[in-house]
Amino acid sequence: MVGLSLGEKHFIQGGIDQNLRSDGRKRDTYRPISVETGVIPQANGSARIRIGATEVIASVKAELGRPNALQPDKGKVSIFVDCSPVAEPMFEGRGGEELSTELSVALQRCLLGGKSGAGAGIDLSSLIVAEGKICWDLYIDGLVISSDGNLLDALGAAIKAALSNTGIPRVQVAAGASGDEQPEVDISDEEFMQFDTSGIPVIVTLTKVGRHYIVDATSEEESQMSSAVSVSINRKGHICGLSKRGSAGLDPSVISDMISVARHISEQLINKLDSEISAAEADEDEM
Amino acid sequence: MGLPDASGDLSSEMEVDAFRRLFPLRYFERHLSESIRPDARPLGRARDTTLALGAVASAHGSALAKIGSTTMLAAIKMEVMTPSTESPDEGSIAIDFHMPPICSPIVRPGRPAEAAPVISKQLSDTISSSGMINLKELSLVSGKAAWMAYLDIYCLDADGALFDAALLSAVAAFSHLQIPIVSLNDDGKIELISEEDDGAKLEVEPVNKEKRKLTLSSIPFSLTCILHKNYILADPTAEEESIMETAVTVVLDSSSRLVSFYKPGGPVLAHTSAVQDCVALTRQRVKELQNILDETLSGMEID
Amino acid sequence: MAAQGGAAPSTYTPTPTKKTQRSPFFSDSDVDWLRPDGRGFHQCRPAFFRTGAVNSAAGSAYAEFGNTKVIVSVFGPRESKKAMVYSDVGRLNCNVSYTTFANPARGLGSDNKEFSSMLHKALEGAIMLETFPKTTVDVFALVLESGGSDLPVVISCASLALADAGIMMYDLVAGVSVSCLGRNLIIDPILEEESFQDGSMMITCMPSRYEVTQLTITGEWSTAKLNEAMQLCLDACSKLDKIMRACLEEAASASQD
Repeated sequence: MVGLSLGEKHFIQGGIDQNLRSDGRKRDTYRPISVETGVIPQANGSARIRIGATEVIASVKAELGRPNALQPDKGKVSIFVDCSPVAEPMFEGRGGEELSTELSVALQRCLLGGKSGAGAGIDLSSLIVAEGKICWDLYIDGLVISSDGNLLDALGAAIKAALSNTGIPRVQVAAGASGDEQPEVDISDEEFMQFDTSGIPVIVTLTKVGRHYIVDATSEEESQMSSAVSVSINRKGHICGLSKRGSAGLDPSVISDMISVARHISEQLINKLDSEISAAEADEDEM
Repeated sequence: MGLPDASGDLSSEMEVDAFRRLFPLRYFERHLSESIRPDARPLGRARDTTLALGAVASAHGSALAKIGSTTMLAAIKMEVMTPSTESPDEGSIAIDFHMPPICSPIVRPGRPAEAAPVISKQLSDTISSSGMINLKELSLVSGKAAWMAYLDIYCLDADGALFDAALLSAVAAFSHLQIPIVSLNDDGKIELISEEDDGAKLEVEPVNKEKRKLTLSSIPFSLTCILHKNYILADPTAEEESIMETAVTVVLDSSSRLVSFYKPGGPVLAHTSAVQDCVALTRQRVKELQNILDETLSGMEID
Repeated sequence: MAAQGGAAPSTYTPTPTKKTQRSPFFSDSDVDWLRPDGRGFHQCRPAFFRTGAVNSAAGSAYAEFGNTKVIVSVFGPRESKKAMVYSDVGRLNCNVSYTTFANPARGLGSDNKEFSSMLHKALEGAIMLETFPKTTVDVFALVLESGGSDLPVVISCASLALADAGIMMYDLVAGVSVSCLGRNLIIDPILEEESFQDGSMMITCMPSRYEVTQLTITGEWSTAKLNEAMQLCLDACSKLDKIMRACLEEAASASQD
């Protein structure tokens, strides 16, 4: 919780009106983003993202499982977010549960596409090992370590970075298993497949304060918001998911406007993130 | 609730409402001494009762029962199980009674009502001991497959006499139950035969061609009465139940045999004569309920 | 006899004998496929609302859209159960649960946390929370039968129940969802259509104020399609609003007689 005096509130709102925010940024400028990959050695892929004082970690764990009977040609992905009490005393115990669920649901909506699996950022059919029998289950976990606003964008970026850091062992399926039998598999510990992460969208959250909307809001700015719209956009400029927060209603034309602004910003963000991710990977290789 | 009429005497209207809230027991006793209840019923009369069958399309049998405002929705889903070795020719019934938060101001999410498991148990006991359902009729393939009937009863509006309404909805759901036609496949699993094939050439032999409906013998019906001093109030509302705490529930079957009798404590100790009066009231009520059920069922057949 | 005491035996729902090749009831190339219930792509199911379904609640409403059947009860404003700090605005507490027979396969009938929080977000912008400080209004929904588009039906029904309870609101909230199947947009999808959908959009809005209180999108959308879907939803919301208002007017005139 952010407790602000009336003067501080006016200062934040006035700054946003004049396109000069309290930390010197413009309304559409992000804080510096830093990416670090391979931070958790036990995971198949992981990344840490810092946006200003907000810090999150995402990790990807791959396990062999059985595909869903309704979608025998697709693997399964689950996303879960945990808010550490380290980030905020109120996350202690069950306090962070509500926010965790909200973030998990928003990320699933933004990254996993529709029920049929169409439009998913992660190509689910690349996770299949033997159709109808074996597939990879990806468990994506996000952890909020330090929270200073804009958690959803940070988590989205961290997941994108963690996935490009992910290597999935190549699997040989033993021939000869017939009918309903579960075939035997041989998991290679040398050969790894890399993910194609070019289709994974980024999430841009526009926070409405007063009459204007800003990107990458800090928690002080978030406490002054009337509503916020998180849009996930891929490289093609297509919308892959959207969720709205905050109680105030929005005029439909404002929403359309926000979506087109988000699309414009997403181009820069994707480029920025991609270069940061490849720099981080290069760093990791050197070590 | 509702605002008093502008033309009416505002002050007297307010006084009655205030009196009812402040001295509920005196308010009721004043009525009872005139042999009438606040909702204008005589002491021994139950509230209007209605039944509707087939309310839930996704279930194999369902019924909606209303006694006054108390509303119960019961639905049966049939699943297949392997019968136990002790009784290879019998199916089984699982009854669950739910009080979701929508039904009453005292139930909140995450904190289930205390009454729900009690009523659940009473219902299972009553239905099993009444012998209404012959479990052998639920058998499919001896020792291999039998029906498990899951009966779930949801209380949609709780305004007293919950057990009576729940039992009525349960027996009505069983009367409405239509068992799907199934066959045994090569793997020993039971499979559905779609309705369109019915009558046409069948590639597979159905295992339960004749057993689409259960024969219900000796259907149980119940009546809950409140005992207060020398008064006996049939079919109490939630308000009456909360003010006068001694309840007696009598369950009789269609031939007036006693199936169950509950008197869970309460400050009033019942005389034998009071118990006999309760049974007599129930006997009348059973006739009413039997008629309502018969009419509803015959109404269905015409459709 | 009945399955009490001891572990309940494991049971299963029998599957149809003929493995009906899971109906590709539409395909990308086929533009003129028929919806399972014979509706046009942009045609909603007939909506039925009734207020005052539950007498023991302060306000309630029942909604039926095809096979989707929902009851919502509103309790309060009443004392907040959770010991919380003083608040000069009221609290809204929402809960959505399903019956065990709501879905074709028997479920556990548990609470739906995601829908509960979505219901909260859709309603909170429409309610004048400052009119009941320090207290809580509880909105509880039970999905009796799930037939698709459950959440928008719950939301519309909840706003009627709030109106029935006399809770002050800026406007009613109407909810509509659209599914994207192949190249087509279909409004108010049923369960079967939802399980095949490539993308979905749900809008809840205050029709008279023309404000969106909640918007969610899944799947991949181009701008043109997005705008088309939004317009479709908003038009349907204002039609739904008329039906909801008619229901309230009817209830009000009936109580006057």
